[in-house]
Amino acid sequence: MRENRYSRQTLFSPIGDSGQSLLGKKHVLIIGAGALGSSTAEMLVRSGIGRITIIDRDYVERSNLQRQQLYTERDAKNRIPKAIAAEKRLREINGDCEITGIVGEATVELLEDIIEEIDLIIDASDNMEIRMIINDLSIKHGVPWIYGACVGSSGMTFTILPEITPCLHCLLQVMPMNGMSCDTAGIISPAVQLVVAHQVTEALKILIQDKNSLRGTFYSFDLWNNTSQNIKVSRAKRTDCRTCGKERSYPFLQKENQTKTAILCGRDTVQIRPSFKKELNFTYLAESLVKRGYKVTQNPFLLNVQLKDNRFVLFKDGRALVHQTKDVVHAKNLYDQLMG
Amino acid sequence: MVKLLFFAGIKERIGVEELYLETSNQTIAQLKNYLQVSYPNLQLDGVLVAINEEFALDDDMVQDNDTIAFIPPVSGG
Repeated sequence: MRENRYSRQTLFSPIGDSGQSLLGKKHVLIIGAGALGSSTAEMLVRSGIGRITIIDRDYVERSNLQRQQLYTERDAKNRIPKAIAAEKRLREINGDCEITGIVGEATVELLEDIIEEIDLIIDASDNMEIRMIINDLSIKHGVPWIYGACVGSSGMTFTILPEITPCLHCLLQVMPMNGMSCDTAGIISPAVQLVVAHQVTEALKILIQDKNSLRGTFYSFDLWNNTSQNIKVSRAKRTDCRTCGKERSYPFLQKENQTKTAILCGRDTVQIRPSFKKELNFTYLAESLVKRGYKVTQNPFLLNVQLKDNRFVLFKDGRALVHQTKDVVHAKNLYDQLMG
Repeated sequence: MVKLLFFAGIKERIGVEELYLETSNQTIAQLKNYLQVSYPNLQLDGVLVAINEEFALDDDMVQDNDTIAFIPPVSGG
């Protein structure tokens, strides 16, 4: 009989055989397959989680390799979408785990479609807008989620249990204007790993139903300055919160509040989303772009067009990433110009 | 005397990770104001403030020997 691959985990008494069995039945949604997403996904898959769904709108690039542990030089060279590369690698790690990679934007529609099958959402995203959407969905559907973020040598994480803890909207009454991003302040891999260590430990506690062991605090750290804070936040829960309070309007799920463009974290890149999902014919599109004098390369997942000052990457669903710019208006113009 | 701790973007803008301040009978709101005036390019939108590792509201009073942490919401990942 083969040795139980989880023997070192079941020997850990808070988990045991019963905890392991529960893990094998659970479905975790990971939003983002970048630094946080790669690491949380790998850790959970190795630990024997039943099912993972991982969503990411981007593809692998060389500068990701410093900290995004699932990807290789080959993935970057071939511009493989992160969700695809992640799915492939995770399947090689644990063939017993059901893994679904989704290449695309984590929109309200997409998330509401799958949330009923989800036991826990792990935040591995790169912008506040999506986090507020996840937060509204979590409270609306009663699914716990674990906020996580990092930059430089700092990181922070908080576990949100619907109806029990304050939600992110309670904590963030004012939306921050400009955060620091990884392309201005950088990021070191250990900062990623410490956030992930906390997120996955909290996840294990929730999934094996040991909620008493949860940390309960908002945890913030700086590894370079050797400081950390474990903040008690129960006072932050607000009865007038529009997401989790007495009168709930879930403001971040309303159509008017969802933007169609986004500046990508850590990149000189603007993402553009069409107002309705498309299914593009790449062959036809590539031909017509080449005819118009553009330099075009492609793989099964995306079309890469070199413009004079910008590189333009188009996905099948009509989304585009416009590189070498943070100017949303300029990016939109290029999009309209190319797509006709 | 109180100790102020700064994280992430706030640490970057101020230039240090901690400051000691002589202060008495100030509220968190007043402290935030003082920081904003002393460091004009500081971004305090949405900052989480904790006194001795407990979430603090703008009206809370700061006392001698308190440690006050200023944690800006980070969005990277």
